[in-house]
Amino acid sequence: MRQKGKDYHLRLKQALAPYPYFIILLVLVGALMIYPLIDGIWLSFWQKNLLYPTRDKFVWFANYRKLLFEDEIFWLALKNSIIFTAASVFFEYLLGLGSALLLNSKYIRFKNFLRGIVLLPWVVPIAVNSINWTWMLLPEYGFVNQVLKVLGLGHLARGWLSDLNWVFPTVILVNVWRSFPFYTVTILAGLTLIPKELYEAGQIDGTTRWQAFRYITFPGIKGISTVIVILHLIWTFVNFDVIYLLTGGGPLHRTEVLPTYLYQQAFSYFNMGYAASIGVFIFIFLVVTVGLYFSRLSNFYGNE
Amino acid sequence: MELKKICLVSLISLVILLVFGVVYAQETIELQVWDVFDPATSFDAVAREECFRQYEKENPGIKIQHNILVYADLHEKLVVAGAANSGPDVLHMLGEWVPEFALMGIIEDVTDRVNVWEEKQYFPDSTWAVANYESKCYGIPSIASPRVLLYREDYLKEAGFDGPPNTWDEFKTVAQKVTQTVEGVYGFGFCSSSNAVRGPQEFLPFLWQTGGEWVVKDENNKWIPGFTVEQAEEVFNFYNDLMNNLKVCPPGSIGWEYLELDNAFTVGQIAMCHNGSWMQHYQEKAGEAFQHWRGAPMPANKNRATYFEVKVEGIGKFSTHKDEAWKFLTWLMGKDQMAKHTRGDNLPSRTDVVSLPEFQEDEWKKPFFAVIPDGKPFPPIPMAESNKAMMDELQAVLYQQKAPAEAAESLLARLEDILEFINE
Repeated sequence: MRQKGKDYHLRLKQALAPYPYFIILLVLVGALMIYPLIDGIWLSFWQKNLLYPTRDKFVWFANYRKLLFEDEIFWLALKNSIIFTAASVFFEYLLGLGSALLLNSKYIRFKNFLRGIVLLPWVVPIAVNSINWTWMLLPEYGFVNQVLKVLGLGHLARGWLSDLNWVFPTVILVNVWRSFPFYTVTILAGLTLIPKELYEAGQIDGTTRWQAFRYITFPGIKGISTVIVILHLIWTFVNFDVIYLLTGGGPLHRTEVLPTYLYQQAFSYFNMGYAASIGVFIFIFLVVTVGLYFSRLSNFYGNE
Repeated sequence: MELKKICLVSLISLVILLVFGVVYAQETIELQVWDVFDPATSFDAVAREECFRQYEKENPGIKIQHNILVYADLHEKLVVAGAANSGPDVLHMLGEWVPEFALMGIIEDVTDRVNVWEEKQYFPDSTWAVANYESKCYGIPSIASPRVLLYREDYLKEAGFDGPPNTWDEFKTVAQKVTQTVEGVYGFGFCSSSNAVRGPQEFLPFLWQTGGEWVVKDENNKWIPGFTVEQAEEVFNFYNDLMNNLKVCPPGSIGWEYLELDNAFTVGQIAMCHNGSWMQHYQEKAGEAFQHWRGAPMPANKNRATYFEVKVEGIGKFSTHKDEAWKFLTWLMGKDQMAKHTRGDNLPSRTDVVSLPEFQEDEWKKPFFAVIPDGKPFPPIPMAESNKAMMDELQAVLYQQKAPAEAAESLLARLEDILEFINE
């Protein structure tokens, strides 16, 4: 009986042993993630403007009502955010996949050097990157327009960041240029893990290049592709710095996305409660979107 | 044994260090100064930094910790620090920040200190007005800089004009003639970025010149718009003429911020712009052309008016060394010190510094001093939201998304909404 009790205590001790090591993690996640999240949600129910501290009041869902039913700029920013995210992730993936396949090809030489070159846009700090682009895209003296003029394409030169029709595609292009190397490197790592024997077996069976890609390469990088696409959907949707530094959301809100709109409400107008409601909306939108994406994906993989 | 010795020596060293640290901390007061003056970029900032070191030498026990930021970051950092009940001991502010920071309660009310400061008399009332909000004073005016019409005399001469334009009509004629005559040069450039700091500082003088005000107080002491739709329409028409009808501004210049504007003037892309004394910064970059730079009063419409930018140095509400900060601030704003740190491209706020021969004889500064009587600061209300409305409507006109009359009506309506919240 006493032996049984000893065993039970030992098993309990062993079972609880790992948990103290989680305490630091829990404290950090709690302090840096959970507390701000709860505080943000709480703040979103308040009318709180830093300019008028005496007017703070609990307004229930008034901020959300204004956001969803009265604020036209919010809907414009949401639409822009969705387009910006979808277009960026789509083109980043295409470019990343293409460049990774190219760098993985046995016909390519100086692979390490080329990998280094491809990585350059990604390793340059975002602020430096964006400010460089703003200068390169200047209408009169910008590098891009100068090159177009030298090539005899002067009629295409324009104010890339001030032309209402071109500003949004330009911002997407800059973001794609900056982010695709991350896909290249990650997909390349996935490609190197695909066993060569599969391709050799395929060759014996007479597969075409497309079939090899469809049935060997793509399934081999499917898992890693899912992860980077999800990560980039989240990162791009909440991306602030690229657009803020390039256009600040202008001109005429043409590049306004939710993070720039949130920033404007919080740090230009000091409407902290309203800004918090935008933040909570972004959080819920991402949780729902990524959740749906995951469930669709698991159905897709399950059916395959 | 060896280990014991090492431990003992380490322990003693630690105790000594701690004791010295505590004694040093008790004897030295560190004043946190947050401003925008980077010694790497301007002569005046170097002089200011030298003043700090001089003060430290003359006041052992005081250490000036100088934090340099650009204006946008400084504003944001002050707001965030203030929201967390912290911040600097001494801070530099744009005049338009004073109402915001006073409302937020992050700057110290120094009314009583100013009232007994014997050097108060050397600062003009117009500069004190900017440092005040709701009859309370929140700092000392440091730089008082009106805007002028900065123009290239050589370009105007080439286009057949002996002097700068005096009225809006003359201004349009000169801008058009320069654009047509001088190769590769446009008559005028201005700021219109939707987040522009400078855009509203250029827009409001045009509105003032029509006889309008941005806001005024009504009989119930409530803020109301100070202009009519017609006055705003006149300003939008003026901008629209310059950009779209006469085409005297560089194509693609809609959305310019101050960097683009200042650079365009420096490299000679534009012949005229609305600008301040800091342009002297660019003397080296402009090269020979700098000798053709001239300043003149802004062209008049019904009135003559220009923007009067007053910068203010205040004390942080959460400073734990307010007396020391005030002593330092009044020393820094003293005659001798101000004469040093505004000798370059800044303009001093003190009348006894302005009247010094080296300032009076400074050819660059003369046109700026001359337009001080025309100068007006921003009204004492939080301006961020109404500035955004102003620039949004201006952009809508420039991009021809709205007619000037429609934009004027929309601007008035948006301002009314903003003021309703301010008046609550």
